[in-house]
Amino acid sequence: MLSAVTTNAVNWPPTLMSRKFVQMATEGTSGSTPSRRSTDSPRPRSLAEDLRARSDDDLGALLRARPDLLHPVPADLGALATRATTGPSTSRAMDRLDVFELQVVTALAALTEPASLTDLLTALPETDVTHLRPVIDRLRALALLWGTDEDLRLIRPVREALGTYPAGLGPLMADSRRGVARYANDPTEVDRVLADAPEGAVEALDRLAWGPPIGRVEAANRQVDVANARTPIDWLLAQHLLEPQGSDTVIVPREVAMARRGGVVVRDLRPDPPVVEVTERSAELVDRTSGQQAFTFVRLVEDLLELWSAAPPAVLRSGGLSVRDLGRAATTLDLDEEAAALVIEVAYAAGLLGADGEIDEAWTPTPAYDVWLTRSVAERWTMLAQTWLLMTRTPILIAGRDDAGSRVNALARDLDRSGTPEARRALLDELVHLGPGESPSPVSLFIRLRWRRPRRTSPLWQAVVESTPEEAERIGVTGLGALSAHGRALLDTTTPEEASAEARASARMPGRTPAPAQVVSALEAVLPRPLDHVLLQADLTAVAPGPLENELAREMTLIADVESTGGATVYRFSDASIRRALDAGRSANEIVSFLVTHSRTAMPQPLEYLINDAARRHGALRVGLASAYIRCDDPGIVSELLVDRRLASLRMIRLADTVIATTSPIDIVLERFREAGYAPSAENSEGAVVVRRRDERRTPPRPRPPRLSVEPPAASAALVSAAVRALRAGETAAEHRPAAMPEGAGSGRLPRSTTTEAVTALRTALDAQRAIWIGYADSTGTMTERVVEPLRLDGGFLTAYDLRTAEVRTFTVARITGVAAVARAAD
Amino acid sequence: MTDGPLIVQSDKTLLLEVDHELAAECRQAIAPFAELERAPEHIHTYRLTPLGLWNARAAGHDAEGVVDILLRYSRYSVPHALLVDVADTMGRYGRLQLQMDPAHGLVLHAFDRAVLEEVLRSKKIEPLVGARIDDDTVVVHASERGHMKQVLLKLGWPAEDLAGYVDGEAHAITLREEGWQVRGYQREAVENFWHGGSGVVVLPCGAGKTIVGAAAMATAGATTLILVTNTVSARQWRSELLKRTSLTEAEIGEYSGTVKDIRPVTIATYQVMTTRRKGLYQHLELFDARDWGLIIYDEVHLLPAPIFRFTADIQARRRLGLTATLVREDGREGDVFSLIGPKRYDAPWKDIEAQGYIAPADCVEVRVTLDDSERLVYATAEPEERYRLAASTQRKYRVVDALIAKHPEEHILVIGQYLDQLHELGARLQAPVITGEMPVKERERLFEAFRTGEVRVLVVSKVANFSVDLPDAGVAIQVSGSFGSRQEEAQRLGRVLRPKADGRTARFYAVVARDTVDADFAAHRQRFLAEQGYAYRIIDADDLLYGTP
Repeated sequence: MLSAVTTNAVNWPPTLMSRKFVQMATEGTSGSTPSRRSTDSPRPRSLAEDLRARSDDDLGALLRARPDLLHPVPADLGALATRATTGPSTSRAMDRLDVFELQVVTALAALTEPASLTDLLTALPETDVTHLRPVIDRLRALALLWGTDEDLRLIRPVREALGTYPAGLGPLMADSRRGVARYANDPTEVDRVLADAPEGAVEALDRLAWGPPIGRVEAANRQVDVANARTPIDWLLAQHLLEPQGSDTVIVPREVAMARRGGVVVRDLRPDPPVVEVTERSAELVDRTSGQQAFTFVRLVEDLLELWSAAPPAVLRSGGLSVRDLGRAATTLDLDEEAAALVIEVAYAAGLLGADGEIDEAWTPTPAYDVWLTRSVAERWTMLAQTWLLMTRTPILIAGRDDAGSRVNALARDLDRSGTPEARRALLDELVHLGPGESPSPVSLFIRLRWRRPRRTSPLWQAVVESTPEEAERIGVTGLGALSAHGRALLDTTTPEEASAEARASARMPGRTPAPAQVVSALEAVLPRPLDHVLLQADLTAVAPGPLENELAREMTLIADVESTGGATVYRFSDASIRRALDAGRSANEIVSFLVTHSRTAMPQPLEYLINDAARRHGALRVGLASAYIRCDDPGIVSELLVDRRLASLRMIRLADTVIATTSPIDIVLERFREAGYAPSAENSEGAVVVRRRDERRTPPRPRPPRLSVEPPAASAALVSAAVRALRAGETAAEHRPAAMPEGAGSGRLPRSTTTEAVTALRTALDAQRAIWIGYADSTGTMTERVVEPLRLDGGFLTAYDLRTAEVRTFTVARITGVAAVARAAD
Repeated sequence: MTDGPLIVQSDKTLLLEVDHELAAECRQAIAPFAELERAPEHIHTYRLTPLGLWNARAAGHDAEGVVDILLRYSRYSVPHALLVDVADTMGRYGRLQLQMDPAHGLVLHAFDRAVLEEVLRSKKIEPLVGARIDDDTVVVHASERGHMKQVLLKLGWPAEDLAGYVDGEAHAITLREEGWQVRGYQREAVENFWHGGSGVVVLPCGAGKTIVGAAAMATAGATTLILVTNTVSARQWRSELLKRTSLTEAEIGEYSGTVKDIRPVTIATYQVMTTRRKGLYQHLELFDARDWGLIIYDEVHLLPAPIFRFTADIQARRRLGLTATLVREDGREGDVFSLIGPKRYDAPWKDIEAQGYIAPADCVEVRVTLDDSERLVYATAEPEERYRLAASTQRKYRVVDALIAKHPEEHILVIGQYLDQLHELGARLQAPVITGEMPVKERERLFEAFRTGEVRVLVVSKVANFSVDLPDAGVAIQVSGSFGSRQEEAQRLGRVLRPKADGRTARFYAVVARDTVDADFAAHRQRFLAEQGYAYRIIDADDLLYGTP
């Protein structure tokens, strides 16, 4: 941290060695009376003051860029400034800076505060004002930097984040070490002294000049003089080009380092993003490929869930899916395990799959799956792709090792990582900048992203970024590596804002929100048209040379087994598959005529023979449901039982001369027989037959699994503008009560409004999408004042977003004591 | 959406729409790297396998070309993963090469050092290699050339064998094309083989594999060892060679159970080669008896395991494999690839049929119903007895009678598995019965009588499955088989698929017992034949016997 005070003024670089003693402005709450000022007003004295001077649009931009500042909405701009200068929030904002922006910030941190734009240009001679201007504006917009161009100030946590030696520069030492003073007075002195340096001294010094400025030596504070210096370090120390710092460290004084650097604070500036190498593909081919893959992905999810609805795999005690079940799913879906895990995780995150909550818990489709199934392919895909884009589930962790060293399973509880969506999105956003059909080389894309987010160095971030191109390809967002038209539409329409809006609406049932129309129509344009026919062949197969219409596909799946999938579907007829159709109530004639209707080719004779042969044998054995049987060696008695009116309620069926079956429970049968004067004897219970139907299992209704919300949700436009208004309102709250206050308002109190007035005002605010002040008596009778943004008004309840607490809550209209319009800042 | 004839499936099958206008062109394009798996009437199924891709690679096709073909003909977009997989797989072939180093002899040379390091680390490779010459080259023991290739294939890094061949002892052989000609596809097959050095030519039964062999011998112009399945087949090779080439009786030797005659061209049977006495293969020295310039393996798919082992030791000699199918019941296709060589030529049956070299065939399955007493016996029989019971039902006899009566003009083969059934049928039809018990001479006489028309109906056991040329059989009736083997089916069909002088349709009847394992096996057969594109019908015995079929 740069806090040394210099006594001697020198020529250059001005702010580095100037004699300005600057007290760090206390940022944050120090603002006194709020005042409106235009941009040409006097220099702001604090960040809070700077913020007050900003326009609504600028404030909105800040809140959009740093949505974490909104949770909860700060009371006024002073509070906003405080929050904007907390460590975590600043760090989050800095994570989004690119290499060049960080280089500028570093230079600013190394300069004495406050620095002017001119100082900055001197410190960064490799660049010019046209490159610098946008960076300064952005840093200002992010509230990492404030003040005018002559008076640029970094907020304190940014400086702290850059460490003790920003840009690798040590402290100014001319004041504390007398020997250094001569270099401060005349930087050219350094070169003059070095001209007589022994071998190795210049190299040693220059190693430290570009930082880090400290080196480790033994006995750093030993007595040395130029005459008997034995090593280059001794000599440098004797010349005060290095100064001891403690007993085993030497440091280059900033005065010396700057002289060696020729006044440059940061070198090797990288103002432009690295070039992404692209391969040109036809945009049409890209769209088609990724459309096909989108179709495949939807089908995979469907296949998986159909598989698991018939035979759900067990939920492990630790919560995941066993390795064996993952392997099985992968084999059935004809995927490798990594790809299968992605299908599984996306289905889970989309709320289509859940643990059923039974005693032997199993992974089972949820009722939302049935809703999802009713949608068109494009809508289904859009929902899955949106889920993937936003989910915090991190499939790449699967099959790796956790901290305890055990294998991480699919569907494991701790697969959520808050940074995953951002990393995924960061990579995809790079694709957006490319033209249609431009397929980037992944490596150059990663290099570009490292430039874009240099502070993101965690292995997890890297891993997510590196897995994203593959995942995007598998899901069908990209094709041949290039972003497809529907992928682009997806990224346009699916912003984290949607996620937070969705979270706020807290939909109990996933899949209810309609898919964005742009995405659906873009995808539908490239999806293969569903066909209404198949080709029947003599080897007892049918080939659908493309996707089939839903109904036809379902019927084909009933009559035949799917043998291979892809662009086309190959079905194979077998005795077993025909029997399945017969079991489902189709007759041989129906099957034959169905196939004849939907086949482009003639019905092969062996197929017809197969169907009839299966039908001939079908039903030769009859199996029914009964819970008791009655047998008697005398057919006469059996006949008698059947005609006995008293026993009619038992609904007996004669199976053979001497055997009757009934669905009534055995104890009732025995009781009725005895009542009717017969003397039955019970046979042991093994006679009861229970026929099980194939059960399609579903979980009870399940909400989507929660996204991990360490990252604050991004702010919607409505929220941002409401918040800005609320902030302005907060600013004025001290002196001004709400404007347009109705007459009769008590001092410091909201007016009392009748319920009708309140409802009218709320309705107006709802329609205008404006925030409104309300007075509200809570259940304990305590009166509170709130600024809320109405979202829904019905049934005597107001659902509104409370700007102060930043949450959606429901208010009872009857308890609203008064309403008033919020004073608008711009008014 | 382009409207190509090909649909690429995610399980690496390729569906080709036969009636598409680009179908023929596309078939030509994909044939080198995809195995035709099924060829029913409308959509043919090809499969991409590592072996198939490596075969293509060995024939000089590269991954880019394969990918390009897939993209060009595909109706829908091709799964990216599949394209990557194709490129990966093909890229594996030839990273390692077996070369002949002037100083060090046989060496394994790597174009990718990492691959070499990987394979050298394998325990199985260790005993096969000698000193490391440089970073990319290691000496291979000359005797392990074949073994090396086998192991490398198993490791997924098939080596390209460029170590060359010995010329062998020269022996002039020319074709005598008098009244016949080498057909276009046969010539192409020989050229491909010769260019590749060693390898397998796949041609359907009746498409003239012997001619391909003879033409290859003429090209080699060297002493040749021909390995065939049995003695009858050996005699046929001999007479074909005498007829088609300049070879004289004195130049052709037979090496079988009865005769051990080594001549410039020697025909040996697998059986004699694999005969052991006191645990030793007695006749192994045949491989070294002369300096053979060419070794021909007839019916490669039947090549017994010991022959593979001998073959591994003679990798310096040119090897030609002939077969109707690369599918081996024992799954040793990989050994064929590494020891005999990659596939050098393949022609789909139907294409050759379309050229008129094979008779069109009509396959009919006749279903008989067991009578009640037979059903009872069948239902209570031990599982292993069931097939025999079902297959040898008395009911089949009347059907056979009716079928023979239906084709009064034709030469008919009745084929069966069980000797008592065959003898019973022989007695009933008053026809001679040929089984393995019969001396070869007698067998030959009967076959000859059948050919000349002296005998119209012949009852044969499985001895007739292989390499017996019975060109005039127009009808085959199968009463029992060996459990629905696909390959047996190909053979049996081959019996009747020889071109007929008048171009009439050949018929293949299979008589099966309904609702028994016999019918289940028949279902396999049916599938195979339908997949080969043959018309297949099923009729009731009752319709045949009493109604109008």
